[in-house]
Amino acid sequence: MRQKKSKALASKPLGAVFSLSGFIVALVVGWIVFPNLLYSKKAQPLNFSHAAHRSEECESCHSLRADGTYSGIPGISRCRECHESAQGNSREEASLISDYVEKNREVVWKVYGRQPDNVYFSHAPHKGRGLECTRCHRDVSKEEKLPAYRQNLITGYSLSTMKMVECEKCHASKGASNNCEICHK
Amino acid sequence: MNFGRRAFIQAAGGAIGGILVSPLPWQLAADSAKWSQNWSWRPSPERGEITRAAGVCTMCEGGCAVQVRLVNGNRAISIEGNPANPLSEGGICPLGASGLQFLYAPYRIAQPMKQTGRRGDISGLKPISWEEALGELGKKLGRMRAEGKSRELAGIISNSASSMSDLWLQFFTSYGSSNLFRMPSAADGLRLAAQLTTGKASPFAFGLGNAEYILSFGSNLFEGRGVASLVFAALRQWTREGKRSVKLVQVESRCSMTAARADRFVAVEPGTEAALAMGIAHVMVRRGCYDVDFVKDKVFGFEDWSDNTGKKRRGFKNLVSSAPYTPEEVAKVTGLEAAKIEELAEEFASRQKALAIWAIGQADNVNGAYHHLAFAALNALKGNLKPNGLVSLAPAVPLAGLPPVQKDPGADESAGPPGLDVVRSGSAPYRRYGFYEFLDDVREGSKCSVEMLLVHEANPLYSIPENKLFEQALEKVPTLVSFSSYMDETAAKADLILPDHTAFERYVDVVGIPCAPFSYYALGAPVMKPLLDTRHTGEVLLRLAGSIGAPVRASMPWKSYEEYLRFRVQGIAQSRKGAIADKPDVPIIKLSSAQSVQPNYSSGEELWKKLKSGCCWYDAPSPVAGFETASGKFELACRSIGAEGALGDDKLYLPHFAPAELSGSESEYPLLLVAYKPSYTTVGYLPTPSFMNKLIPDKVLQGGDILIELHPQTAAELKFAHGQRVFLKTTQGGAAVRVNISEAARPGVVYMPQGLGHWAYDLYVRGKGANANSLMEVHLDPVGLMGTLLPCRAQLRSEERGNL
Repeated sequence: MRQKKSKALASKPLGAVFSLSGFIVALVVGWIVFPNLLYSKKAQPLNFSHAAHRSEECESCHSLRADGTYSGIPGISRCRECHESAQGNSREEASLISDYVEKNREVVWKVYGRQPDNVYFSHAPHKGRGLECTRCHRDVSKEEKLPAYRQNLITGYSLSTMKMVECEKCHASKGASNNCEICHK
Repeated sequence: MNFGRRAFIQAAGGAIGGILVSPLPWQLAADSAKWSQNWSWRPSPERGEITRAAGVCTMCEGGCAVQVRLVNGNRAISIEGNPANPLSEGGICPLGASGLQFLYAPYRIAQPMKQTGRRGDISGLKPISWEEALGELGKKLGRMRAEGKSRELAGIISNSASSMSDLWLQFFTSYGSSNLFRMPSAADGLRLAAQLTTGKASPFAFGLGNAEYILSFGSNLFEGRGVASLVFAALRQWTREGKRSVKLVQVESRCSMTAARADRFVAVEPGTEAALAMGIAHVMVRRGCYDVDFVKDKVFGFEDWSDNTGKKRRGFKNLVSSAPYTPEEVAKVTGLEAAKIEELAEEFASRQKALAIWAIGQADNVNGAYHHLAFAALNALKGNLKPNGLVSLAPAVPLAGLPPVQKDPGADESAGPPGLDVVRSGSAPYRRYGFYEFLDDVREGSKCSVEMLLVHEANPLYSIPENKLFEQALEKVPTLVSFSSYMDETAAKADLILPDHTAFERYVDVVGIPCAPFSYYALGAPVMKPLLDTRHTGEVLLRLAGSIGAPVRASMPWKSYEEYLRFRVQGIAQSRKGAIADKPDVPIIKLSSAQSVQPNYSSGEELWKKLKSGCCWYDAPSPVAGFETASGKFELACRSIGAEGALGDDKLYLPHFAPAELSGSESEYPLLLVAYKPSYTTVGYLPTPSFMNKLIPDKVLQGGDILIELHPQTAAELKFAHGQRVFLKTTQGGAAVRVNISEAARPGVVYMPQGLGHWAYDLYVRGKGANANSLMEVHLDPVGLMGTLLPCRAQLRSEERGNL
């Protein structure tokens, strides 16, 4: 009887250890392993150095069209304006010329911040409201190499796609409407 | 330390706690919801630059300018109105807005097909290449021509005025066949009446924009399509001028949408509108309230007249003053009160700028030539046919004429059997409307034979009243070639299908707007690459012409349809007439023949470019002045109807009310059936698109059942309840229907909507209600041989007693 009691007393701290280790393992899985498993890493078809294009204005490639729609990533015709022939000796430059410019093929870029089809987002009303591009997008001014595109294996969306809660927080702080139909037409 | 069951549970408990404070479960829950947004069958719009391409809507004859929104310049996503067009001013109807549903429709024909089994067996239609299809058709046409059987080629095409119909005519003429028929339309009667009275072969046109009182005989102005662009331009004009006083009086038997919105609805017995017109003329003549000067100087046959043989003939005044047209007699026929007829006549006679209109809008050809003449006579009495009057003739668009057809032995008209257009030796002098006579001749098979029938932009098997005539005629035709873009009823019966592009994948044009007094021309260039392996029928015709023989080739020398259209547009440029409307404020609807329009283009190339950019060309109306009849006047006594002295009855030269003999006995068929064209269905080549299905009210279609309108009194007599299933029978056929008890109906009359009851296309089109055309009876007009659609006798039986 006494022996049994002492065994039970001894198992209490051990039980806490087991629970704690289960807890810690789960935290590691939930916070580190799972996100790495959930998002696949995909390379862009071609590297693009924003740093090498620093002499250009952002708007010369990523502009609003006259009707207010956003041009997004420029097409190959815009690249061709400067890259009709190779502008350097890099492997990437050679690929741009031979695989895309000469064949008049569009580069199928993976767009980091693309919103799903059920979201209506227009850059036009966000421009000129004191919002820097970097409020939502990563700072690319010194970026030599495009980061890997991380795609959610379940949803197919990019990891960098802005979540609804972020939109709502900013709208609330700026006094913009958070009505459903503002973004879900 | 022993890791036993207890330890495992303790670790698992900790793990659960750990998982719950990690993002894993919440992320999984959210992601599984988002996963459903990306199922592969979910439609996803293409991303890219949005552009707009200008074009013209050809889904009806209204000629509305439209813009197609495109993604990346090649994926059409919607159709909008074009605000720069002075006629439509950016307006668009439900059919126009649904236009892209035809482009992406599952019932489109994706490539040429050939029937390998029994005719009508859809599974027997097998895809073939364009080379095979063109080779087979070219070979057959060449063989028929070589064997002197050119006349055994027949064609049925759309009734819209376009350069395509002129190209078809050129092809048939040079091939050596005169058997090309347009689908019948209400405008045929307007053209015939104008031809009889003015000697000119252009249909009457109405100056709606300048009228202040409109007496409409069954013209469903507000039911949409046909002249919707014209009517709404006139409505806007009236509103702009603050003309609240423009009065619309609608004469018809059913309280249609137009009747409900008119200032006054005059409900008459179906098919008796012309009797009322004659009654009004009677009152005007009796009271002397007509344009005496115009009638005296410019009208022939008002007074009694003598024909060339010296025989004294009765004039219009004499006829209209006779007993059948007194208000009391007309009241008996129309169901109105005599006092109301007097009052209506007085109002029409006393109002300035009063206009009588008929056969425009969503109207069927319910009137024979004599009724058309009766309505025209009212306008003559009002002096509306004076220069700058409210009635004129549709002006011709000065497009370049097609080169003269090169004749060769294959096209020699004196050789072989006579063409279908001259086989009948009856007294009818105007044969161009003889579509129904043609069907009759083919199905009887004794007078002529048709080896091959070509059908383009028409679906006669479904859409002509008394459609079984076409079905019976088809049994005698060995080869049916369809150029349809869609698997419609007629295409499904074809032996060979050479599918055309849909409207926005090809060059199209609109030559004039029916009943519009001004000239109008609009052009539409392809806005996107063809979606499927289809070809422009114009290009196919040019190619066939090249392969048949030198004379046919020489008559159609263009390399492409675009080149052909450019050639035609050069004609406008060379005429130095009209102008381009590049602003919406051009008062096109107000133009009268007194005004002249100064050209605002300098060259043919500039004109072509502006037309391609979505601007329309227009010109002022041309005056009617200079009647080309034998008398040189407007002929109320139409001497061209019979050779001089040929007609025994004087009345047969004059407008009069001519009720037809209806088949079936009144005791067996105590009711009358009238088919009407509602705004929410389409009745021609195109089926009702899915978007428009949502507009069809429950009182017209419930599930798969069509509802007929019946007056409460008639329903009570027949002991029918609302929604009850009954069997509708006419001498032509029968259909299971449901009853909609409605005050809009006239007692004793059954009203059935058209545009339902398809059995081809896809499940969103077929199996909805019954086709009114298969219940209707068509009468041949004795003057023009037009198919005239009159109310027909009908019976309704409760379904238990019906023989379904």
